[in-house]
Amino acid sequence: MAATPRDPQLPTHWFNILYDRPQYVASAVPRSRLSGAVKYAGHGVQLQQPFSLARQSLNTADRFIPIPDEVLDLYAQYRPTPLRRAVRLEERLSANARIYYKYEGANLAGSHKLNTALAQAYYYARAGVKRMVTGTGAGQWGTALAYACRVFDLGCTVFWVRSTLRQKPIRGEMMRLFGAVVHESPSDLTEIGRRALKEDPSAIGTMAMATGEALAFAAESSESRFAVGSGENSVLLHQTVIGQEAISQLAQLGEFPDCVVACMGAGSNFGGIALPLLGAAEDRGRPVRLVAVESAACPKLTRGRYLYDLSDALGTTPITKVYSLGSTYVPPPVYAGGLRHHSAGPLASAMHADGTVEAMAVDQLTAFAAGMLFCQTEGILPAPESAHAVAGMIDVVSRHPRQEAPLVVLVNISGHGLLDLGAYRSFAAGEIEPVEVDEAILSQSLSALEEFNQSIAAPAGAT
Amino acid sequence: MATGESSEVAARPNLDRRRVTSLVFEALTAVTPGMRVEELDERQELYADLGLDSLRFVRLLVELESTLGVNLEDEELMTVELVTVADLVDLVERISLLSAK
Repeated sequence: MAATPRDPQLPTHWFNILYDRPQYVASAVPRSRLSGAVKYAGHGVQLQQPFSLARQSLNTADRFIPIPDEVLDLYAQYRPTPLRRAVRLEERLSANARIYYKYEGANLAGSHKLNTALAQAYYYARAGVKRMVTGTGAGQWGTALAYACRVFDLGCTVFWVRSTLRQKPIRGEMMRLFGAVVHESPSDLTEIGRRALKEDPSAIGTMAMATGEALAFAAESSESRFAVGSGENSVLLHQTVIGQEAISQLAQLGEFPDCVVACMGAGSNFGGIALPLLGAAEDRGRPVRLVAVESAACPKLTRGRYLYDLSDALGTTPITKVYSLGSTYVPPPVYAGGLRHHSAGPLASAMHADGTVEAMAVDQLTAFAAGMLFCQTEGILPAPESAHAVAGMIDVVSRHPRQEAPLVVLVNISGHGLLDLGAYRSFAAGEIEPVEVDEAILSQSLSALEEFNQSIAAPAGAT
Repeated sequence: MATGESSEVAARPNLDRRRVTSLVFEALTAVTPGMRVEELDERQELYADLGLDSLRFVRLLVELESTLGVNLEDEELMTVELVTVADLVDLVERISLLSAK
């Protein structure tokens, strides 16, 4: 089959931060510490991810991991992605800064999620899996995986958080266009979904529930396997094509950023741009500020606890140490569904815990205003998630002293907002309210998280 | 499943069940801090009794790959479902037999 010619700036390897910082390999509590109710007697141990993919999350031996040829051919269809200087935005802000942005929205799936979806579908297809099952928040991951599954001739089932599905049902049509089966979560297809609906028929859903349902659904068929779109080290690894390209594109302009800004769901677009820049800054013996921008409705880094927590409602996945608001926390239904996961991934969490990554929480009104400004000045409408990154970047730039040398900032526009026009229209019409955390719900969830950690306490045994 | 060369396995193509069990016990303790070989027996459940989640299972496979000197292949591992330690011993026995061929 003819392949798209590869641009010389297309990375041929993924950048593996675990080589530089092996301490970032995820830490998990042995399940034997859990109470009997969640031990699942008779439960078999089975790989969900193909072995060669799963081991990428533990690899501390290789700084660069080769991208399979088949995946490179697919990357070549839309990569390198553009890196541009936001000159008009700089002018509008009267910024003492040179602002560069990397734009990941110019592919069919509309976001950075395609970078890992193609890689994962490649490994799953090669391992003989027939159907990939997943949970999605904003729907960008579901769209990307639906397309990747179509490319590799795999079935695809997506459990989509109800609140977001109802905000932008047209994205579901994109998933279905590629042959995916899309279910609203909570659903009546799984035991945990039925239980959630029984407790609250109007439950808005969470990423933890959608992920839990996907895990439970995948377990019902020997030919299906669960896949995840963020948080895992391997997923962040696949996204490092973003940062590597940015380094090369900035070098052509004689630039290296002082500061890198990206939004934070569980960490994949953030890691994708930040990790290679961190490695490159260390190689050059210079500092780089890494700023993760989260939703004020789901402020896990700024208000969460760095503790062991469940990542899904089923509770069968590893219990890793993460910044979390507690797995029972139900964030308000903000438009940035991709930022509603109750915890950051283990790698992003470890980077925040050791001070490598700063965190900032942004309200959705501020984010939409920043997204509108970016659109008006740069001609690109960012996804609501990416608009948080823009808002965070504007905050960083506005605090930079006038008398100092201009700050060089790199911000990741992880996806387009063309399927979020309804939300932007509501914002423009003044119909979107600021969303605040319900302090009572947050406090209850954090208490439950702390109690859970007391029940499994024996830190020496954690790895 | 096992396609790599193994110094240990190649030298000892007829790994007996006892030796395989011992290798499995060692690998389990290597990936589970605080676990001792004396605490293990083949009837224990990997998930419910030993707390072997997917992260630790992958670590265990990496450990066994290194111990046995083999390359584990995705396609065959994907079909494996293990409940007890004995199931794991069976798997490793199969791997060692294949690699010895």
